[in-house]
Amino acid sequence: MIDEMTGVANSGMPCHAHLLDTLARADDGALKTFAEDVLPLLGEIEVVQSRTGLVMLPMRDTVAGTDFHLGEVLVAEAHIRVKGGETEGYGMVIGRDLERAMAMAVIDAAAMAGADKERLAHFVEAQATRILTADEQRLRAVEATRVEMETF
Amino acid sequence: MAYVATRGGERAIEQSERLYRAGLGDIDAQRVAAIRQALPWLIDRVMGEASLYEPDLAALALAQSGGDLYETVLLLRAWRTTQPRLAIAEPVTQESLFTVRRISAAFKDIPGGQILGPTLDYSHRLLATSVLEGQPFVPMPVEPAARPAPAHQPSLAAWQKAVGLVADVSATPVAPEDIPDLTREPLLFPAKRAHTLQSLARADTGGVLALGYSAMRGYGNAHPTVNELRLAEAELRVRHPRGTVFSAGRVKVSQAEVTNKGKSGKLELGFCATLGWNEVKVIAGATLDLNAPAAPKNSPVNEEFFLYHTEPVEASGFCIHFKLPHYVTFQSSLDALRDAKAGTAAHATSSTIQRQEEPA
Repeated sequence: MIDEMTGVANSGMPCHAHLLDTLARADDGALKTFAEDVLPLLGEIEVVQSRTGLVMLPMRDTVAGTDFHLGEVLVAEAHIRVKGGETEGYGMVIGRDLERAMAMAVIDAAAMAGADKERLAHFVEAQATRILTADEQRLRAVEATRVEMETF
Repeated sequence: MAYVATRGGERAIEQSERLYRAGLGDIDAQRVAAIRQALPWLIDRVMGEASLYEPDLAALALAQSGGDLYETVLLLRAWRTTQPRLAIAEPVTQESLFTVRRISAAFKDIPGGQILGPTLDYSHRLLATSVLEGQPFVPMPVEPAARPAPAHQPSLAAWQKAVGLVADVSATPVAPEDIPDLTREPLLFPAKRAHTLQSLARADTGGVLALGYSAMRGYGNAHPTVNELRLAEAELRVRHPRGTVFSAGRVKVSQAEVTNKGKSGKLELGFCATLGWNEVKVIAGATLDLNAPAAPKNSPVNEEFFLYHTEPVEASGFCIHFKLPHYVTFQSSLDALRDAKAGTAAHATSSTIQRQEEPA
């Protein structure tokens, strides 16, 4: 089976969208530390892009189904390539933190290269769990505001 | 003749800016962080009107303008132009929103239920003066439910369309890069619906409220009831160079539908949404959208009227430009006035002061 993330057989990794979703919302400190750890495994890298920019966010109107532009979101983007190889990494996160986008790109490249697979999978799962827990705590507070009113 | 070049005053101009900035004092990262933390609703309002989502920059713009909202929005709109557009995200749909508040004033039992979320709707508004006497206000913690609320809520409008309460308008699918964009093309009338909704999303909150409120009080042709109001977070879904679509994070959005019984025998809906959480704006904006179709020309609920007059940078800019030297135009008014006084009675009646029409 070809993994959609790495493009190589049996990588045993979570799917690419899950990896990217998780990295984009990972704990800042943990993400940057982990990227520092895996960076040496990649060898020499070339920075294709490291910049801030805008992503236009469209929304679908519920009345007539019209897609329209809600506004622009500032993002940080990073794109790297391992010198002399096919391996690339990409990161895009909301905000202005170029280091954060670069950390995401480094980990994405490490995943594509299949470097330190076990630790990487462990890192992604730990972060995914953290995100899920935070969302759940928030939604439990939201659920406490569910209201059933009676009219008389 | 509208404008004239003026010369001189450099020193006074320089000192006037210094005097303004002296009043605000030093601006450091700590002040910006404090604004961001303490004023989330103001940050949201500013980000919506600036049409730029970045809370730190919004807080900085507020710090730099001392809270003058039109200056704040102008700073952010101007800064935005320094940034390249990297992508257009996938359109956000109502069902995909991470929803924390979702209510309907029209229907009590809506599929998914009513969730109040964070609100003061049913609270007393009391000023906590004891804070000024040294007793901090410490909010009571929420007592969380045993189970989490569903992250996503169904679309009420979709249900209403399915049961035939609301006319189902079929929209032609548009590729994201073909969605009309006001930042790249002018607003023309009759406006494309995408332009109307984008314009409302960027509109001045106070302006939208004033015109929306006029419709609510009876100067419109449809009285609104809130069909659905949502505070939520939208995923910013972008494309990885290898094709994988992923979320780069979430941004706060608010949206409202208001409804009224239409002549067709079905419910009619108006819609408005914006970046950030801003309930007044989306309810008032949706009221304008609901009223727009049958509005007479020159009425506040006429699309051209409300879209032109609620653009915050253009409206405030036009207003404050009247402070700048208009000596020549005004001189001509004075001349006309003097001519009128000095002339014969017949002459005087024909040379009253004309209203000044000026190019922007």
